[in-house]
Amino acid sequence: MTYGRARAIFRGGLVLAALAALGACSKPAMTTAEGESATPGGTAPLRLAMVTDVGGLGDKSFNDSAYAGLQQAKARLGADVQVLQSKSAADYQPNLTVLADQDEDEIFAVGFLMSKDLDQVARTYPRRHFAIVDAVSSQPNVASMTFREQDGSFLAGALAAMVTKTKTIGFLGGVDIPLLRKFEAGFTAGAHQIDPSVKVLVKYVGSFEDVASGKELAGVMYDGGADIVFVAAGKSGLGAIDETRARPNVYAIGVDADQDALAPGKILTSMVKHVDVAVFKIAQEAHGLKTPAGNVEFGLRDGGVGLTDFKYTRAAIGSAHIARLATIRDAIVAGRIVPPATREALATFKPAKL
Amino acid sequence: MDSFAGFVSLSLVKATPLVFAALAGTICERAGILNIALEGALTVGAFAAVAVSFATGSPVLGLFAAVLAGIALCALLGIAATRFGVDQIVAGTGLNLLAAGGTAFGLVVVFGQPGASPEVHALGAGGEKALIVAAFVAAFVLQAVLDRTPWGLRVRACGENPRAVRSAGVDPRRVRVTATVVAGALAGIGGAFLSLGELDIYSDGMTAGRGFIALAAVIFGRWTPLGAAGAALAFGALSALQFVLQRAGVPSELMQALPYLAALAALTGIVGRARAPAADGVPLDERPAHIGRMAKGSVENRGD
Repeated sequence: MTYGRARAIFRGGLVLAALAALGACSKPAMTTAEGESATPGGTAPLRLAMVTDVGGLGDKSFNDSAYAGLQQAKARLGADVQVLQSKSAADYQPNLTVLADQDEDEIFAVGFLMSKDLDQVARTYPRRHFAIVDAVSSQPNVASMTFREQDGSFLAGALAAMVTKTKTIGFLGGVDIPLLRKFEAGFTAGAHQIDPSVKVLVKYVGSFEDVASGKELAGVMYDGGADIVFVAAGKSGLGAIDETRARPNVYAIGVDADQDALAPGKILTSMVKHVDVAVFKIAQEAHGLKTPAGNVEFGLRDGGVGLTDFKYTRAAIGSAHIARLATIRDAIVAGRIVPPATREALATFKPAKL
Repeated sequence: MDSFAGFVSLSLVKATPLVFAALAGTICERAGILNIALEGALTVGAFAAVAVSFATGSPVLGLFAAVLAGIALCALLGIAATRFGVDQIVAGTGLNLLAAGGTAFGLVVVFGQPGASPEVHALGAGGEKALIVAAFVAAFVLQAVLDRTPWGLRVRACGENPRAVRSAGVDPRRVRVTATVVAGALAGIGGAFLSLGELDIYSDGMTAGRGFIALAAVIFGRWTPLGAAGAALAFGALSALQFVLQRAGVPSELMQALPYLAALAALTGIVGRARAPAADGVPLDERPAHIGRMAKGSVENRGD
């Protein structure tokens, strides 16, 4: 080995050692920064942050509803609110990490799509508090909020079966995944509770963002004889509502947020999922310096899910149907009807005697 | 019969944005620009159409704005690729990201709300039909222009051997940029069809990969305008069929993958031979591969 080469190797080694030392220094520095700021101060305002899923703000549905919960926390608890939007699944982890690096008291991950990424970030930042909507996390520092969508969808299906004139109704989902099948199974079972002969068409857009395809698929279902379509498809659903608006004698049923006003009189009701109620509840716990943790399931009883108050369609539905719906709702709350949450459970579902 | 008519009209509606984008892709690739920014061009077209209709109340002005927005985006690709020698794929990817981010930001600036715009004045059923007809007319016109006009010949030559074009005294950079301008106008109209023709709103992500399906249609149509339009129509009919036949249990994702499988089949020669223009995607100061082979030795020492 020549002298020159030995020197070159030595120099390279020095650089490597320096880099390693830098890495060693920066790591503990980061953890102490997190450690100092993890406990919320008594007088400082509560700091809340959320990461949207790919649906993003403006979906007039799920993400907007979570945002409404934060706005409520801002108004009533004086909280500081920050929102990071995700353009793609690749944004989840960076967004969550950015917030975890800041001085946030509670970080909301909106949507089950984020559950894997959140678990990873939660492990890396064990002193931060997180909450996830629509998924159950096993991490001790993550509170989980899930909903009994099948219960609310059951009511929507029952209402649709009462109102339909063609004895055919439809379910239009965003993407064919277990979460959406809770809506599908509950809706179908609810219709069969009223009238087992009602036909339920089921289709999926394959995307939560393809507005044009949502419109076209709603058209296919209306052409296929359905006169009421339950649209659970994120932004794709906006297209389906657009199609409903253009046709006489048909109704859509909205989802997640109260969508009734999007096409007054053309949306029979909305199966509201009060993500805002859930988010606000967690925010309240964080405000009370109580650490939100574990899984909370929101259902009909606590207003986590439910139908709207038929502001524009009360007359078209009629008070007899509305009274009958109330009976069914009570039966679900009392446990006399257990709406199915999967296709398998739907296959063995028998309408209950009321 | 009624349901068949419904199927045909759904196929045409599904195909129209693909036809516009596939024609845009064809003219670019024939000139030697591999335009993967079609998705971005659809996006800015759809956004500009709704934004201008919102601001002026005129959907026709919205359509014009879509044309200008598409041209701006695609010409940027053309200029970057010819004047600055930027890699076309890298530039196209960047422009797609710019379009996605820019329109998301634009929603907040123009409408004051993220995610989706409010409803605006749309072109209506008549306008939608007119654009469907226009898409197929454009395919025939573009085919004739490519086959029978001097400009068409230059475009084709630029895609095969830009040095020959230069030696004939024509600037291939100008031809390529012009091709991206024509493509931008077409793709912009395709975007406007989605947001103002079919619908009356713009929503983030609404193009949903149609620009990439159009690229597959270009390949499946073997780089001719009529072929690309035919492939786009076939893809449109496929997704219409998927919509009509779909039921729970059959994965719709498989149907969504079909255009790309078809393009792969075309490329691998399963359904006939497909040959891309020799200088497709090749920067102007590089020789297309086969020219280099043919002229080996004689040109090599010239040092350019």
